[in-house]
Amino acid sequence: MTENNNNDKNEAGHEKPERVVGTPSASAEERVVSEPTAENESGHAGPFEPSETHLRSEEQQRRGDKMASAWFIVATLAGIAFIASYFVFPPNASGEPAIASPQIAQYSNMLLGGTLTLAMFGIGAGMTVWARNVMPHYEVHSPYDELPSDDQEKGSFSEFFMKGADESGFTKRPLMRRTLIASMIPLGIAPVVLLRDLGPLPRDMMHHTPWENGRRMYVEGTHRALRAEDLENDPNGMISALPAIDDERYPHGISLNDQAKSVILLIKIPEDDWKDGMNQPVSEGSDETHLNWTYNGIVAYSKICTHVGCPAALYERTTHRILCPCHQSTFDATDAAKVVFGPAHRGLPQLPIGVDDEGYLISTGDFNEPTGPTFWEYQGGGGS
Amino acid sequence: MSKTTQAPKALRGVGNYIDDRFHLAKTGEKNLRKVFPNHWSFMLGEIALYSFIILLITGVFLTLWFKPSMLEVVYDGSYESMQGVPMSEAFASTLYIDFDVRGGFLMRQIHHWAALIFVAALVIHMLRVFFTGAFRKPREINWLIGVAIFVLAMVEGLFGYSLPDDLPSGMGVRILQGVMLAIPLVGTYISMFLFGGEFPGEDIITRLYVLHVLLIPALLLGLIVAHFMILWHQKHTQYPGVGKTDKTVVGTPMFPAFAVKAGGFFFFTFAVIAGLSAFVQINPVHLFGPFAPTSITSGLQPDWYMGFMEGSLRIFPNWFDFQIAGYPIMTAVLVPGLVIPGLIFGGLALWPFIEQWITGDKRARNVADRPRNAPVRTGVGVAGIVFYGVLWMAGSNDVLSETFSIDLYLTTYIFRVLAIAGPILGFVIAKRICLGLQRRDRETLEQGYESGTIRQLPSGEFIEMHKESSAETVEVLSSKRDPSSTALAEEDVDPSGVENPEARKGMGKLRRALAHWYTKDNVTVRDVEPHSGHHLHHSHDHTSQEGPEEGKDGH
Amino acid sequence: MTRNGETVKWITARRRHPLAGYVVVILALALFGVGYAAMAPTAEDARAQTLAAEAPAPDDVDIAEGRAIFDQTCASCHGQDGSGTPNGPDLREAGSASVNFQVSTGRMPSMDPDSQMPRKAMVMSEEELANLIAYYDAEIRDGEAGPDVPYEVPGSEPQREDFEDEGSYEEALETYEAEYDSYIEGAEDTDMGMKLYLTNCAHCHSWSGGGGALTDGRWAPEIHDATPREIYEAMVSGPGAMPMFSDGVIEPEEKQELISYVKTLQAEPDAGGIFALDRVGQVAEGFIGWTVGLSLIVACAIWITAKQRAHD
Repeated sequence: MTENNNNDKNEAGHEKPERVVGTPSASAEERVVSEPTAENESGHAGPFEPSETHLRSEEQQRRGDKMASAWFIVATLAGIAFIASYFVFPPNASGEPAIASPQIAQYSNMLLGGTLTLAMFGIGAGMTVWARNVMPHYEVHSPYDELPSDDQEKGSFSEFFMKGADESGFTKRPLMRRTLIASMIPLGIAPVVLLRDLGPLPRDMMHHTPWENGRRMYVEGTHRALRAEDLENDPNGMISALPAIDDERYPHGISLNDQAKSVILLIKIPEDDWKDGMNQPVSEGSDETHLNWTYNGIVAYSKICTHVGCPAALYERTTHRILCPCHQSTFDATDAAKVVFGPAHRGLPQLPIGVDDEGYLISTGDFNEPTGPTFWEYQGGGGS
Repeated sequence: MSKTTQAPKALRGVGNYIDDRFHLAKTGEKNLRKVFPNHWSFMLGEIALYSFIILLITGVFLTLWFKPSMLEVVYDGSYESMQGVPMSEAFASTLYIDFDVRGGFLMRQIHHWAALIFVAALVIHMLRVFFTGAFRKPREINWLIGVAIFVLAMVEGLFGYSLPDDLPSGMGVRILQGVMLAIPLVGTYISMFLFGGEFPGEDIITRLYVLHVLLIPALLLGLIVAHFMILWHQKHTQYPGVGKTDKTVVGTPMFPAFAVKAGGFFFFTFAVIAGLSAFVQINPVHLFGPFAPTSITSGLQPDWYMGFMEGSLRIFPNWFDFQIAGYPIMTAVLVPGLVIPGLIFGGLALWPFIEQWITGDKRARNVADRPRNAPVRTGVGVAGIVFYGVLWMAGSNDVLSETFSIDLYLTTYIFRVLAIAGPILGFVIAKRICLGLQRRDRETLEQGYESGTIRQLPSGEFIEMHKESSAETVEVLSSKRDPSSTALAEEDVDPSGVENPEARKGMGKLRRALAHWYTKDNVTVRDVEPHSGHHLHHSHDHTSQEGPEEGKDGH
Repeated sequence: MTRNGETVKWITARRRHPLAGYVVVILALALFGVGYAAMAPTAEDARAQTLAAEAPAPDDVDIAEGRAIFDQTCASCHGQDGSGTPNGPDLREAGSASVNFQVSTGRMPSMDPDSQMPRKAMVMSEEELANLIAYYDAEIRDGEAGPDVPYEVPGSEPQREDFEDEGSYEEALETYEAEYDSYIEGAEDTDMGMKLYLTNCAHCHSWSGGGGALTDGRWAPEIHDATPREIYEAMVSGPGAMPMFSDGVIEPEEKQELISYVKTLQAEPDAGGIFALDRVGQVAEGFIGWTVGLSLIVACAIWITAKQRAHD
């Protein structure tokens, strides 16, 4: 920036004296101070001759020299050690002890990191000692740029610019100017159009999950379907479950997308603890109540918090609270998972459950509301 | 010793070669002579610059092995604890960097520590600039660039945190998506387009990766270069002192002293970051395990710079949520997720212009304010820090609740109150402290400093001797400018009883009110003759307290 | 390296020594390191102390002594017949696993029935506990109600004071360790163990087993010191606010996978360096980044730019 200006000026043959940073000009405002004795009123503005500015004895300088050199030697040795320690622990292919073992990885990490640290610190310390103890000390003055440019310069620029604009015809030929601008508009929109295929339109896919009538449920992490009697011995039990799907395309038998919206928390609640909210219809105008959707004291709620989507999994059996560990939205498991504290907007969706002929727990339909964070269209479209 | 060493032949050759083509000798010399003020607080920005360089170097190293793919694979690599676990290729390749690439673990930890330090350095650099008023004309544009760098750095950090696809990082993305979904009307579409479908989909890591390694770093680099060039062109501000004026900068020249110091500082920065990375474990993704949308851990946190958003998501209540014709307006997500960051960064960006509008100060200011001499600005800054800090702490309320055995819900209530009361208190206290310091400055200027020598007067009374301050101190103290505003230059009502038309209009009225607020409290030193106070001579009322008003009588 | 021969006080003479700065920095670093190391738990702590035992044979236990212990330490809150009082719950359906868990983790007997008890050293000996459990099973327990003590899962390590001589102690220790290792290493499916732990436990006890906050001032305890048997018992009996995970919901082999996952994770050395910040994660990392990282860098900046005295 500044460089170009200077070059331009030179080429334009301006003979105005240049203000060069740190250079003393003839003007009196340029002054060199050197600390701590402000006696350096000479014409120099550094780098100075050491004899002029240095306030240390030759002996002190020599000591600084030695100290800096010592640091640099430390850094050199540490650098060599760094390279050497790279080869101390072989990669896994070459046998033991290999860095895949966490303990060896720790040693390797500390050895490499420690030597690197020392090498870096050595150079830093050496340079600091050098700057502080060997180099001369002084401060120089330099003027800030005069702001703004003077009127003559500004006027000249403006005149030149407008003359050019007129010369080009841009100002005088509106048809050409406007059509040029018009031609930019479709090109500006084009990238937006090109991005259309980033993803599908939502339609109603967020309103449906793989749960359907008769779908069994796996204990998450296993491929074992749960039976209602498995929860017999848990008067206050809880378990995280997924729909029993074994799709070979996915290691867990079900895609992460489907896991994210279909995961449920099965909770067994003692009969006396249900609250009135359970007798409400599961959704507006529905004949089913929340209690109808439970089976033998077992209730199934979506595990995904309706706030911003963390798994709301923290269930306290004494208070029957379901708490999201991220932002502490709290839902009452005995009261249709209504929000009792925190930032969530709506309760956790409930899944209707029952048992099939063999006693396995099944879903008897989809959730009463879309699962996951509340979104704009959550009440429109699909649903149960 | 007085003879200058001849430039070595090789160097001269290169120099000539370059100069033959670029005509750089003069410009080069000029730039080598650039003056840098000598104060540690002017090096805070350099920490950020150097961390950024470290991030670039280590980041390139990591990309050599990292695979930004969400394809699910069953891990069969050399890290035993995860063998047989299904995970994304992104996570598997992160394990590869950790446990198969020698030095990979170190580089990943350096990358992460450098990211934490980078944003932290941006914050303290920005605070230094704010509190010393270094954002004032002519540096407003550089301030805006700085705010943009800060915002981009946070986004860059968030995306980088998300790439390994481990448990906490995936949850960060999930929360981001949850905030997106809450946006009225278009939220669902934005989320679908970004994720290529439903959460988590199969594209997000790849897309965040290209943003993280290409687009945002390029923007950051461009902005940092622009920031630096503007700084180079406008020169640093400087603290008040002898010879330091709005027209002249005093300091160490770039070459040789400052170049060596800055070079050394780069190595120090690298050393500290490398030292942390060598011995302090950070983000152990191999222990977290791969991301699953169904799993969660207690104490889940983002990296510190996203903590304020996490905190505001935690403490903002759902009381203001409402529905329009069955469509929800999720204020409990929208306010913390979008409005509060908007307020913080919007406020930061606008402050120089607000202050200029209030004071009407249109002059170029190169001498930094001492924070105490702009008490309202300092108060506002402290209020901002407190607000940010409360939200930040609220982001770890579960950890605080567990560590200090406080009821979890109670912490939420406490932080709700603190988020409102804290900034107000912070403003009042900071401003009071500033005025107190101003008073002390005035006294020091007038009386000199307390020497610690006790003397007994002939009357038997003991007094402490005051000594004259150094010329530097006197210069610093007497350089104080009183806060003023052009809005107050004209009276509300002119002598003939006609109201000032400017003052009647809404904005004019507001501006006058703000100007009054900005300037009303001040301890002036304009009427003080340095070392004119009687303590320097023969004082008898050494202990009397002087308020600002009493101080004006000048004894 | 005294600069001049003056006899001044030792510290004053060296304060401005060129090396003084480094000494201070190194001392500060060392102090930080030592202080941290003193506070941070060692790797050994993370390893479970454990013990092997089979269900004690009827001849080995003394029900009469068990009754004496019960009447003395339990009955005041839980009632003479274990049916509970306002101060303590009904024990008749709790099961012996619950008794073993509460007593062996030191949570019972409790001094304050209203507050949550932290883990403590057990107040009685292993033998006394066995007698207590025998009495509970014989007289208080409601038939077969509640879960039994899972004797096949390794419990706490044998203690030296329980043995007469060094030899028998070491023998017991060896047996115990073999049992412990075979239980932990018997698990094969890391994915299952991890999934079960992360979807059912980590939201309270944290990914590292470090614990976490619950509502109303309660907390989920850290489980670093918990033996496999204690974890198992906690799952089947649901102490405090913890829900139950019976053997029907999570089968014994699955529990073994889960326990193996979390104990292996806890015993794993920290590959990233000796300071693992208690595995607290991002909050601690941010804290260290600011307090140690940034402060040290700023200290370097201050050193670089510090005003120099002419005689320095």
